[in-house]
Amino acid sequence: MKPRIAAIGICAALLLSLSGWLPAAETAILLKNGQIITVSGETITGGDILVQGTKIVKVGKGLPAPAGAEVIDLGGRWIMPGSIDSHSHIAVEGEVNEMGALLTPEVDCKDVINPQDINIFYALTGGVTSVHTMHGSANPIGGRGISLKLRWGKSAEELIFVEAPLTSKWALGENPKRSNMTGAGPARYPRTRMGVEESIRDEFEKAKDYMRTWAEYEKKAKAARESKGKNPPPLPPKKDFRLEGIADILSGRLWVRCHAYQSEEMLSIMRLCREYGVKLVCFEHGLEGYRITNELVQYGVGVSTFADFWGYKWEAYNTMPQAAALCAKRGVLVAISSDDSERMRHLFNDAAKTVRFGGVTEDEALRMLTINPAKIMGVDRWVGTIEPGKDADLAVFNRHPLDPFTVCEMTMVDGTVYFDRAKYREERKKTEEEEKKKEPEKKDGGEV
Amino acid sequence: MKKFAVILGSAVLAISALLFSQAKPARLFIKNATIVPVVGERIEGGGILVEDGKIKAIGKALQAPADATVLDASGTFVYPGFIDSYSHFGLAEISSIPSTTDFREMGKENPELRAVWAINPHSVHFGTGRVTGTTSALVAPAGGTFPGISALVKMDGWTVPEMVVKEAATSFINFPMTPRPVGEGMAVQKESKEDVTSKLVEKIRDYLKEARRYLELKKLAAAGPDVEAPEYSAKYEALQPVLEGTLPVIISVEKAKDIELAIKFVQDEKLKAIFRGCAQGFKVADKIKQSGIPVIIDSLYTGPSEPEDGYDAAYRNVVELARAGVLISFSSGDSPAHGKDLPYHAAKAVAFGLSPEEAIKALTINPAKMFGVADRMGSIEVGKDADLLIAAGDPLDLKTEVKQLVINGRAIDMANWWETLYEKFKGRPEK
Repeated sequence: MKPRIAAIGICAALLLSLSGWLPAAETAILLKNGQIITVSGETITGGDILVQGTKIVKVGKGLPAPAGAEVIDLGGRWIMPGSIDSHSHIAVEGEVNEMGALLTPEVDCKDVINPQDINIFYALTGGVTSVHTMHGSANPIGGRGISLKLRWGKSAEELIFVEAPLTSKWALGENPKRSNMTGAGPARYPRTRMGVEESIRDEFEKAKDYMRTWAEYEKKAKAARESKGKNPPPLPPKKDFRLEGIADILSGRLWVRCHAYQSEEMLSIMRLCREYGVKLVCFEHGLEGYRITNELVQYGVGVSTFADFWGYKWEAYNTMPQAAALCAKRGVLVAISSDDSERMRHLFNDAAKTVRFGGVTEDEALRMLTINPAKIMGVDRWVGTIEPGKDADLAVFNRHPLDPFTVCEMTMVDGTVYFDRAKYREERKKTEEEEKKKEPEKKDGGEV
Repeated sequence: MKKFAVILGSAVLAISALLFSQAKPARLFIKNATIVPVVGERIEGGGILVEDGKIKAIGKALQAPADATVLDASGTFVYPGFIDSYSHFGLAEISSIPSTTDFREMGKENPELRAVWAINPHSVHFGTGRVTGTTSALVAPAGGTFPGISALVKMDGWTVPEMVVKEAATSFINFPMTPRPVGEGMAVQKESKEDVTSKLVEKIRDYLKEARRYLELKKLAAAGPDVEAPEYSAKYEALQPVLEGTLPVIISVEKAKDIELAIKFVQDEKLKAIFRGCAQGFKVADKIKQSGIPVIIDSLYTGPSEPEDGYDAAYRNVVELARAGVLISFSSGDSPAHGKDLPYHAAKAVAFGLSPEEAIKALTINPAKMFGVADRMGSIEVGKDADLLIAAGDPLDLKTEVKQLVINGRAIDMANWWETLYEKFKGRPEK
């Protein structure tokens, strides 16, 4: 999947120009007469949402428009919290895998955010308002991930979901084993699942030593300071950014997102994480998670999975589109995520598939797109439902989002409209007409 | 609904028991169905009589013969089974494991290769691929310029010969694709200085020319002793029906400019062509319509061919092609693991403006026409193969369950890999 990084093109240009139509940040917007899928409670038919600045302030029926408020008539259309894609690689400049080393906790996606990635816009067209974009799965412990709000057109820094906890990407199985790589450089350790786990454990022990050495230094340094020149200050140990990264994992500062397919591998890593006190929040993909729901629930680890993407490699073969539903029914926290700049555009269709296969309720299917990924990303206080006090991250659909023929028509992040299909089409029509006009002109010019 | 399920479930069990145990296919009678025949009006509460694998009679007043197995389809909808217009069913099990894939041969020119030789009838993907209503599929080879010859098969059978509708359904040419100018942005020159595409098309023309020369020589040699027969070439032999216009050839082509080149190519070479892909078809829809060439739509789980086409280009493309009157059909694309998404691609086009009726046609009668089997497939009509899908609702809906498929008059076993796993693991006790 080659990310299209072009910030050019009609659609890109259009969307950037959208900012011209947008209300100033603190203006109130009243979204009137919608079928409001709150996710936190009942769906409100003919309901209104009052947005003030970046926040939802009121949800209900017959809300009066405050003076000066912009009123958007939803005309009975459906409105839901913006979808949250908890497994994404968009808006990362260049490659997402640091192939050069086995463990790379020192690298950070935050340093390479590309705010001009057109996939940010594509995500908005599918009603996605936040993503957790992450390092690839080439390393047992890879780089750090970052949660973004899709404020298309803003700078890299302004895209960051500042409240979101920082994450560490891990990967087990075929990718760190490099099972499916042919002719790409020399073979390296590990080549087995045994080696993958051991490489993590090994680094943990090194990091513990490193942390101890620094703690001792700090102790001595403190004593030296307190001795007022009696004890000479100690020499600091050498800085090691890789081990610093591991130390951040062992201290629980980083939330671990672990790419894994096979159930037994997940059980192994859960044991390891428990042993070292690591904050393991979610298995990425976790296609065999349905086999170990008891253990996932007991540990309290979620699954960020696909609705039905499978069969592309051996470890993705022993699964079914009923997997997400089976996990959810048994109490596992399930998010439907994309891992792909195309799939993210129709996550709402994917959610509908979990209703068909495995039979979750429509409410549960919608939670898998909203509040569940918000919990996994640690941002459920701010996003994932339509409630007063939450960020005004909203998506409008012409039909129920799980309807097969639904189209996302408007997407708002922090009370700002970043995608409006009607305006998009209007602009496109204009552009096309202008281009038509241009063509004969050129011809005439040539003939003269 | 539950009551229906019980009735249908027991009926299916009874039918399966009967049909599987009898050597000669029994007569099957589907009653109380809402029949959507695709060709002709929808029939509410109608009956379909199936005999020897064919549709024997359809009608509202139809009564079940005494010896027929009756399937009560109250509350359900019966459609002709869907036809997947491009797939690798049976040719690929796990895409990343080379020992399980058989759709791409080495080399560029393999017009003689036949997919039918390599199909594994027991691939799990036949079972999972039909859960949304697909009863037939074009199984295609891929890669190179001339990938080979596809087979049109039914999605059920103990052996490949039992499944085959057409052993040689279509040939293939992968048309060269004009690359996007190096660099991104409007400022970059729109055309590359050298017309690489035209050069590559010339190569294909040369190859066909050689094949024509070979066939001509062979004919002359057969007519008289003065001409020496050329050395046997399986490749040129395989191109004979293509050059004679008797075997349709699927031409993969995406960009508007390439489509125009391909139309000219098809007309010059006098081929019976079907286009596949046509991502930028919407820009030249009228020209495609004029050419009379039908189009197989690729998976709609795809972004725009170029960002300038707009985020919704893939969906809009289908709508524009249909509006221009181009004969279109849907396909599940490159991954047999995702064969079940076939009707969902159609649904995506409907969301963006294609009529549901057109969408259903593009899953049934349209591909039947393209592949020359409209006399036996693609609609519910007397005399046609009894390939039927019985669904709880609209089969384009992602939430609709397909209750039963009938293939060649047989209510098939709907068991599949996913169900096997589901049944097993939902039985694990909860703690």
